[in-house]
Amino acid sequence: MKFLARDQLPTLLADLSTAAEVWVPVKQQNGVVQFDRWAPDVDVELDVFLARQSPKENVFPQTETYLEYRYLMVCSAQRPEFTDQTREELRQLVESEGGEVVAEVPPVAQELLLVADVGGGSQGEPGLGSAAGMDDSAQIILGLRPCDARGLSQMDNVFGGYGGFYFDPYYNVRRNNTTIIAVTCRTPRSTCFCRALGGSPAGTEGVDVLMTEIEGGFAVEAVTPKGESLVERSVFEKAQPEVEESAVAAKQAAEAGVNVPFELDGVREGLKAGFDSPVWHDLAMRCISCGTCTYVCPSCYCFNINDEIVEGTGERFRCWDNCFNPMYTLETSGHNPRESKHARFRNRFSHKFWYYPDKYDSLLCSGCGRCIMYCPTHVDIREVLRTMSAETTAEKGEA
Amino acid sequence: MSGAEIARQDRIRELARQALTEGKVDYFIGWKAGHVPSEVIPAFVRNVDECDMLLWNPLCHHNLTTFLKRKMPDPPDARIGVCVKGCDSRTLVALLQETLVDKERLYVVGVPCDGIIDRRRLEKAFSDEVIDIAFQGEQVVVTTRGGETKELAYEELLLEQCASCDFPNPRYYDDLAGELLPQPEGPPRFPGLEEYEALSAEEKDRVLADAFATCIRCFACIHVCPVCYCWDQCVNRSRRPALVGQKVAAKENLMFQMVHMFHVAGRCPSCGACDRSCPVEIPLYLLHRKMNKELFEMLGFQAGLNVEDKPVFQTFNIDDALGEQ
Ligand code: SF4
Ligand code: SF4
Ligand code: SF4
Ligand code: SF4
Repeated sequence: MKFLARDQLPTLLADLSTAAEVWVPVKQQNGVVQFDRWAPDVDVELDVFLARQSPKENVFPQTETYLEYRYLMVCSAQRPEFTDQTREELRQLVESEGGEVVAEVPPVAQELLLVADVGGGSQGEPGLGSAAGMDDSAQIILGLRPCDARGLSQMDNVFGGYGGFYFDPYYNVRRNNTTIIAVTCRTPRSTCFCRALGGSPAGTEGVDVLMTEIEGGFAVEAVTPKGESLVERSVFEKAQPEVEESAVAAKQAAEAGVNVPFELDGVREGLKAGFDSPVWHDLAMRCISCGTCTYVCPSCYCFNINDEIVEGTGERFRCWDNCFNPMYTLETSGHNPRESKHARFRNRFSHKFWYYPDKYDSLLCSGCGRCIMYCPTHVDIREVLRTMSAETTAEKGEA
Repeated sequence: MSGAEIARQDRIRELARQALTEGKVDYFIGWKAGHVPSEVIPAFVRNVDECDMLLWNPLCHHNLTTFLKRKMPDPPDARIGVCVKGCDSRTLVALLQETLVDKERLYVVGVPCDGIIDRRRLEKAFSDEVIDIAFQGEQVVVTTRGGETKELAYEELLLEQCASCDFPNPRYYDDLAGELLPQPEGPPRFPGLEEYEALSAEEKDRVLADAFATCIRCFACIHVCPVCYCWDQCVNRSRRPALVGQKVAAKENLMFQMVHMFHVAGRCPSCGACDRSCPVEIPLYLLHRKMNKELFEMLGFQAGLNVEDKPVFQTFNIDDALGEQ
């Protein structure tokens, strides 16, 4: 364990920022706290308890360009002479912009379609699925809470190929270049429920270094090898025995401030048993089906892929999506298996506590409580899970 | 809480009980306490014995008429009782003008309103979580989770729109909860725009661009809005046609909000529900209230005043003063 004096925090940040981009919670002009780039004139906000959003955008940007392309279409039946001209235009383009022709669609009806990929990954080298050319500079995120870090490690399963499923090159480049310095919670909110999910206000899942606020500074613990090398810096002092004691006390005080509003055991079974339960209609009554809960969530990871073309120049990018979005499960036929509000609502909880655990052997919720705080009608995930757990109990009772 | 407020609360409970007992409605929508006493949330009451949880106090900010719009009633043909404040009643009137809700299936309890407090402003006075807000006469007693208590003046905590409300009395109702309040005199007020209006065109662009750069496209503002009812057909999310860019970026976000503003013009009474729902606190009123001010100054129009009126974009008067031409 090490010790960092409070007044040495800027020194540490300045030191870290020589080799990496450093992100910290910052109070914005309107008083909202969000993660932002640190600079010598930026104050780290650790008093306002949770930033509006976890720093999930640092590894999973809300909008991310996959590739850029030129897209030329000619009507070959009516203007055959243009076909060659367009091919030539495209060839020149490829040459000048360094892309490659990825598709040349023969004139199925009357149109010839030519697509040139002029950039892969996030700007740079051509080619789909290539992370080459991505900005891979190191970043350090300081001041997030243990539940934020746990949210990241839950997303890692999805993007990191857990169970032999999908591996996302873009996400992983960023994730591997990211160091997480979490800060133990000092004043948990009434909405925090990390402990109900096996977490803790001093939890270390997904954390490289954990700092705990104590008198005069922070008790600093390295959790991973990445963390070990970070705390080698001279600004960290060797911890006196009192530091360790104060840290234990601070962690215990934080633990005591976190409620355990439901039993995790039985939640998954309850969701399964209650899938068709009419109780979902009641639970969803005050939901306005917006999706805010998912965008403030540290572990929601759904995204969609868009193609937008303006005058022959196109871009393919991904954007966060969510299960309340009408397009989320809309099928090409026009049928939407989740047409009604309660069905969309049901998916959020079932995904986090049933479908995802089945596939990835962990939860998709870390108990930060943001969905309760920022839902326009305060839909309460704790109440939903409690209610659904009771569905099995009710059924057992009847049987 | 004043005697008048308690009387309104009692009356809401009584009217809800009556409506449910008589089978006039399938459920009754009011307000109730949320997960902590400082949060008030929409309440959907189906049983007579639940009516006592209904609340009325200056935290009842939700505009409940949003639960009347398409796709909200469950079942879709439910007969619904609903409480409306002055501003809420105007969004209801706007829906009625366009025959988007069926009067016959509706039972409306109008609540004269002294003003709602601005929770966001209040919360910023504390770094700890606010868990209780109690009203004692003109004082608001705020308690945090850590046990800190502060007394603040109710008048100073009012939402900007409430401090200069033109219609504290509901414009449409079947029954009233409490006595009508005196109707404010004078022309309509559009507070909070002076600073913005004083800016040059470029500065205005910058203010809006900065504000919308932080938008996370969560759609709370759209979905919470009672008079924004296209749901799955909303052009802001449509890919076919792709008229509004899907990127979450300042330009696209502003475009999407402009669409919202124009689509609700004529129905929006500046109820402020969108502002209060935005998780990153974007000042949406700059668009909506400004639009309403323009509509009033150019066309003498105010949204949602009388069911018989036509919404502004569905009428044409030869005398309409459309600028200089
Ligand atoms: S849920 Fe736990 S880890 Fe997250 S902020 Fe609350 S106390 Fe901290
Ligand atoms: S639960 Fe709340 S935040 Fe989530 S979609 Fe419903 S209303 Fe929006
Ligand atoms: S746009 Fe905003 S202020 Fe206007 S009616 Fe809708 S929610 Fe109310
Ligand atoms: S509620 Fe706020 S953040 Fe969400 S879409 Fe509207 S303006 Fe953007």
